[in-house]
Amino acid sequence: MAFVSPFGSSTSKAGHGSIVLEVLPPDKPVLRNVSYQYPLKLVAPDPLPPPSHGADGHAPRLIHTVFLLTYGGGIVAGDTIDLDVRLDSRTRLILLTQGSTKIFKTPDPLLLSRQHMTVHLRNDAALVYLPDPVQPFAHTAFAQSQIYHLEKEKGSLCACDWVTSGRSARGENWDIHEYKSRNEVWTTDDAGRRRLLLRDNLILDKHGRTDMALSSRMDGCAVFGTLIIRGPIFASLAKFFTDEFEALPRIGGRNWGDAVQPDLTPKEQRQHDRQQREKAEGLIWSAANVRGFLLVKFASREVEGSRNWLRDMIKEEGSVLHAFGERAILCLK
Amino acid sequence: MTSTSTDQESLKSEIADLERRLRDAKAQLNEGSIAPASAARANDAALHALLLLADSALPLGSFAFSSGLESYLAHHKPRPPSASQMPNLHTFLRLSLSTLASTALPYVFAGYRSPWNIETLDNDFDASTPCTVARRASVAQGRALLAVWDRSFKPQYNITTTSAIEALAAFSSALRTSEHLNAHLAPLWGLVTKILSVPLHDAAYLFLFSHARTVISAAVRASVMGPYQAQAVLASTELQDRIRGLVDEGWNRPVEDAGQSVPVMDLWVGRHEKLYSRIFNS
Repeated sequence: MAFVSPFGSSTSKAGHGSIVLEVLPPDKPVLRNVSYQYPLKLVAPDPLPPPSHGADGHAPRLIHTVFLLTYGGGIVAGDTIDLDVRLDSRTRLILLTQGSTKIFKTPDPLLLSRQHMTVHLRNDAALVYLPDPVQPFAHTAFAQSQIYHLEKEKGSLCACDWVTSGRSARGENWDIHEYKSRNEVWTTDDAGRRRLLLRDNLILDKHGRTDMALSSRMDGCAVFGTLIIRGPIFASLAKFFTDEFEALPRIGGRNWGDAVQPDLTPKEQRQHDRQQREKAEGLIWSAANVRGFLLVKFASREVEGSRNWLRDMIKEEGSVLHAFGERAILCLK
Repeated sequence: MTSTSTDQESLKSEIADLERRLRDAKAQLNEGSIAPASAARANDAALHALLLLADSALPLGSFAFSSGLESYLAHHKPRPPSASQMPNLHTFLRLSLSTLASTALPYVFAGYRSPWNIETLDNDFDASTPCTVARRASVAQGRALLAVWDRSFKPQYNITTTSAIEALAAFSSALRTSEHLNAHLAPLWGLVTKILSVPLHDAAYLFLFSHARTVISAAVRASVMGPYQAQAVLASTELQDRIRGLVDEGWNRPVEDAGQSVPVMDLWVGRHEKLYSRIFNS
């Protein structure tokens, strides 16, 4: 006779996780659900009130933070992580990682590790996702996707996706089999039809007929990143990046010495210092205003160059720290 | 008698010549009867359309764009300054073709294969083009292609109305009213080549070849190389193999999997706006 378990069948699946942030009436945001399965682990420290609370009548009383962790600090070949995040209207969430997401060596190039995250943002919800970079070691195959759904094109988003060349201390330099990262932002219109607002898809593999090793395709850069900014809460951050891009010195321009150098204001001095650092660290970046987004692309010779630059930019502008607190940029320190 | 022998010699050679011409004429007659005349006409129509699209006089305005070459060269100054920029050009051309094949080529295939999807394809391509400079270049050429179709090609192809023509007409009229449509080159290239009955493989090959020609023509004007060197690069079997390989690689790639294979390309193209002096629009 077959053994019949007295317990209900388990609905949990390996690597699945869920975060649901809702508002408890009248106005208290609570984490209704934080669940996860090995190898994924979610840690939610106590929520903090935003530093600017009181000044802005619309700001929620508490900002929640969730750390996305994996056992062993990385993803082993064949692992699949699948996380679902839902933010109710007027809630704010910070997602963080603890150290770079390491991708471990695969025995077979065709055995892909995956990480998938779906985020649903209701009206007036805001997400800050500034993780540590993904660090795929040599001989790895990894694909990840971050899919954001904005209800009626509303909702605010500030998400970074960056990847490094591997363990540079061990001489690894893009020695991967395959790396793919997809960021998509979708919306649903009144008729219920889905429309793609943004797709940022990075594909590093052996295709492309370049007859060049991946490392030489990267033009000496050890890190590449994309920062996606959208929505009213991050409007001033977006404007800051646009203005700073406008203010970059012209490439190939020369100082003929016939213009009088005016005394720099403290802001101009900071800008000048940062531009000097960018030059020294081989950091190049661009910003584009497209379809209601501000899309920033950056690359640098060393990981720390990009990390410092991103932190300096966000800190100097200040609105993210003001609305979300210091935790928002914990991974950039 | 020497004069008679010379006459005989010349007569003999004339007979041989006439026999050869008869043989050639018969062979030509046989070839013609094997291929049915209608198939030859269809081939000619496709060839004719291909020649039209391949003509550098096709007013798409492609010559105004260097697809990032100008910015790339500004980011990679040769040392010493007098050194040749040819190695840089070769690297850039490879990377640029690879990028185009991974980002835009799937949309050429999709535009050709599913004409009625053109609005979604246009929206999705727009959503996938992360930089203002590249968008501007793609939309300018897409709109120009649409204008060439409307003003020049359409009257010649109006005898039989196919569903692809209807799809393009619907797209053209929607373009005037919708705020979401842009008219990007890649999906429209697929759709227009379908209407012109160019085989899909040729359409894709020409799409990549035209890009290579545009980049190389920009290189000539940017004084990287001379016009003869440029033709040598275009004629090379290396370029042929590369384009053929890219078409084969992308044949079954769905548009959802289109993406950037050379991330630094977005930076070069995006930073074109920051150049001190520019002779191109991208």
